[in-house]
Amino acid sequence: MGFDIRQYNDMLKANNVSVIYSGPIWANGIDGMAEMVLKRLEFEELPRSLSMSVFSIFVEQINNMMFYSAEKELHTGAGGDTEEVSRGVFVLGVDGDAYFLQSGNVVTDSSAAILKERIDHINSMSKQELRQYSKQLLNADDSLPGSKGAGIGLVEIARRSTDPIRYIFEPYEQSLQYFTMYATVRQRGKE
Amino acid sequence: MAFFVERERTSSTPYTLVDESKGYMRLEGKCFHERVAFLFRDVNEFLAEYLAGDFGLFVFDCAIDYFNSSTTKLLHNMLMQMDKYSVGGNKVVINWLTTHDNDIMIECGEDFKEDIHNLEFNLVIK
Repeated sequence: MGFDIRQYNDMLKANNVSVIYSGPIWANGIDGMAEMVLKRLEFEELPRSLSMSVFSIFVEQINNMMFYSAEKELHTGAGGDTEEVSRGVFVLGVDGDAYFLQSGNVVTDSSAAILKERIDHINSMSKQELRQYSKQLLNADDSLPGSKGAGIGLVEIARRSTDPIRYIFEPYEQSLQYFTMYATVRQRGKE
Repeated sequence: MAFFVERERTSSTPYTLVDESKGYMRLEGKCFHERVAFLFRDVNEFLAEYLAGDFGLFVFDCAIDYFNSSTTKLLHNMLMQMDKYSVGGNKVVINWLTTHDNDIMIECGEDFKEDIHNLEFNLVIK
């Protein structure tokens, strides 16, 4: 028997999962995923600030996966262009008035240490402090070393969430860990 | 020959118009492509040379309704460069065009305005 789609679907429903994506993640691929998420948010008829917060977290989580995923391959297209393709899982769920966004990907031990330190640091700040911190990172000569703006991306996730960012790092293969990030936006917190 | 670029919007990149002959640039739509710095390299190269010269007046209408953190960095760098050269006989005017229900763009406009010293930055909320 192959993969049990029906059981999988029941599990998604029971966990209030509204959109799930598992597979390749690449720079140009974000267009299709974004349209899917925007369409899903349109159905909800949410206030603009709430839907844009959810959308913004989605974009930054995808960007974060593209940057930190340890499962990366280089593909050469028909035109000879090379692009980097990462692997990851993304989930958008609705539970009552809460929108939750989860991302899952494999990271190296050293990325895990950086991510953990940055998220803990960001979680210790108030919304006003986060706004100032964003400005500080923008005005820094080269942002954080080796971060390609990823430092600002995590701050953006925290600014748009109503709850602190939660994370789990689980042992994976040698020198790798499985990183799950949870962000939550509550409608009440956005009114 | 004067620099001219016009690109249609996609889901993740904005409508882009840069017209050197009119001293004008406009971005409109959404911008969250991960390789935004790469996609805007021609515009950045043009601006670097153009702003360092004697351009008189340059107007930038920014009507983006959402952008991601990589784009924030790109725009901030552009604004800082425009600010640096908006002196003497040269002037840059930025019109930050947004709507009253777009909290994220309003906050970002306010934050950018605080970092600017020379150019004219108009936060236009409709």
